[in-house]
Order: sequence, then structure tokens, then C-alpha cells
Amino acid sequence: MKEQWRLLQTGFNKAFANMAIDEAVLINCSRGKVPPTVRFYGWSPPAISIGYFQSLDEEVDLDFCEKIGVDYVRRITGGGAVFHDKELTYSIVIPESHQSVPKNIMESYGRICGAVIRGLGFLGIESSYAPINDIVVDGRKISGNAQTRKMRTVLQHGTVLMDVDVDRMFSLLIVPSEKIRDKLISDVKQRITSIKNVLDKEIAFDDVASSMKKGFEEEFDVELVEGTLTSGETAMAKKIEKDRFLSKDWNHRR
Amino acid sequence: MEGKSVYKVPNGKLLKIFLDYNKNGCITEVSITGDFFAYPEEAVEFLEQELKGVLLDRKSLLEKINLVVNKNSIQFIGLDAEGLVHGILMCKT
Repeated sequence: MKEQWRLLQTGFNKAFANMAIDEAVLINCSRGKVPPTVRFYGWSPPAISIGYFQSLDEEVDLDFCEKIGVDYVRRITGGGAVFHDKELTYSIVIPESHQSVPKNIMESYGRICGAVIRGLGFLGIESSYAPINDIVVDGRKISGNAQTRKMRTVLQHGTVLMDVDVDRMFSLLIVPSEKIRDKLISDVKQRITSIKNVLDKEIAFDDVASSMKKGFEEEFDVELVEGTLTSGETAMAKKIEKDRFLSKDWNHRR
Repeated sequence: MEGKSVYKVPNGKLLKIFLDYNKNGCITEVSITGDFFAYPEEAVEFLEQELKGVLLDRKSLLEKINLVVNKNSIQFIGLDAEGLVHGILMCKT
């Protein structure tokens, strides 16, 4: 019988709740209270997440975000700023000691990205891992990924772009100088793609999720069993959301 | 005195350093930001603390950074000690 992992489909949530749920699952998994967990989720309203080490003011046009109702949050993972709009986000939480996770961090990025690559394959999209933390289709980025390890437990989350609006994305991010804005936007348009771009049609979130589920199952040779957050996780997520991700101290710390 | 640098680490990420230093050329405050990865993340804050008082020259910086990195088993991805030194020194005009 295949090993069973938990699958969480938590739907669309605010940025603060989304980041808090990932951390609550990480903590509960580290305490042995929940099995390895794969989660699929979306963002409502759209939001920008920045990497742990980024400066919020340097990266994000906060006034414009507030004006058009885009939330912003600092992640507990490193990496860059991401505009989360039309995408599926996955997260995986698994003990470092699990045989499925290479001890070497770069290798483990590759392994987990392998699940996303297989998932895209089920949608008819051929993609590959592009170190450090991207997945590309014909050299264009379709997925960005970020990992942290805490309490001997791995959390990796990442995006699968369903559609992308580079102009809107750059209206929310700070660019080094207005002079190069147009050039930067046209460069990024060349370097980024989405499921819609590749297939020339829209694929519904649920269909992307079911392909990703198969991708994770195949890559890790496990069965993903749909479950829910435990009451402990839910309570902890609420607390982390309030204490960390909704706090100015956290989001503006750099 | 204040300085700021933006440095694309070769084969790595975009490093953005904010630096305060005194007239003796020693760091009074440094903020290491960017889209790199470091494990454990909190160790970067410790490194920033440890860099206070360090003289702004290549050798002193590299020595201190390597010491802190080794002592705390910090693992950088998309960044390395050389890149950090380069980014910090770029802040000094």
C-alpha cells in the first residue's frame, strides 16, 4: 500500500491567512501531530508576497497597493517579490528526515519542483527545473518556488502561473528607475509565461489542482488523501496570522 | 555616513545593502536585503549585528563573515561571502 499524505484544498484566502496556514502546518508537522501535507490554494484579494530578506519599501509600491486593494505580506521563506493573482499556489510540509526529501537543499528544490513539473505534464505542458528556484517552459518562467527549513521540517511553497499580467504586476512593484520601466516590462514579458499562454486557453483552478495532485502523487509515489486542518492548526494559524503576518513589525522589518 | 548598493551576485541573486559607517571607516549599521535564500534565516540578523564595528576593507569583512557563517553553519543560496563583501564595499563611495 502506498504511503498516505494529507491533501489540503483551502481555497482562496487573504495573504495573511495563507502564510499563517503554511506556518501552522509546518509547526504541527514538526511536532508529529500531522502527516506530510500538500496544500493547494489561491489568493483573494490578489496580493504581493516578498521574500524574508527583502525590504518592503524598496520592492513594493504600498500606496498603489492600498489604492487598488492589493494586500502585501512578508513570507517566512527567502526569494523574491511575487504578485499573486491568477495562479495556483502549492505548499508541501514534510520532515527533513523523510526519505523523499534530499538532505541537500538545492537537491530538494529539484525534487519538489519535479512534482510541479509532472503536474504541468498532466496539463500537456512540458517544463523543466531551472535552478535556483524556477520552473520554465521553453526558457520562460511558469513557476517560482521558495523553501525554508525549521524544526527539522521542510516547507516549500511555490506558484503555478495560470495567467499573468506583467503591466499590472509592475504597477505594484518598485522599478529601479522610470527610465528603464518600459524596457524592464518588455524583458519580463519575454521571460515569463503562464498556463494560458502556453496552451492558448484558460484552465480552471480546480483542473490545475487535480493535475498537480497527480503530479505530487507520482513524483513521491504516495497517495494524497483529502483532509482538513486540525482544530489545533486552525487555532494556531489564527494566532500566527494576527501576531505575525498582520503586524507592521513583521511586514516592515526590512 | 550612509551608503546603498545594488549588486547582482554572479550566478546568484540581487543583493541590496544599506550601510551606515563612521569616519574611521567602520560599520555602524548594515542591512542585508535581497531575493537570496539563507538557512537558517534568522542567522542573517545575527550576522548584521556581528558586522557592527568591522572595518570596511575586503580582508576584515571576509574574515568576519566567514567566521560567523562557519560558526553558525549558515548556508546561503544565491549569495556567498565574496558577494556580500562586494555589496558592502560598493556602498562606500
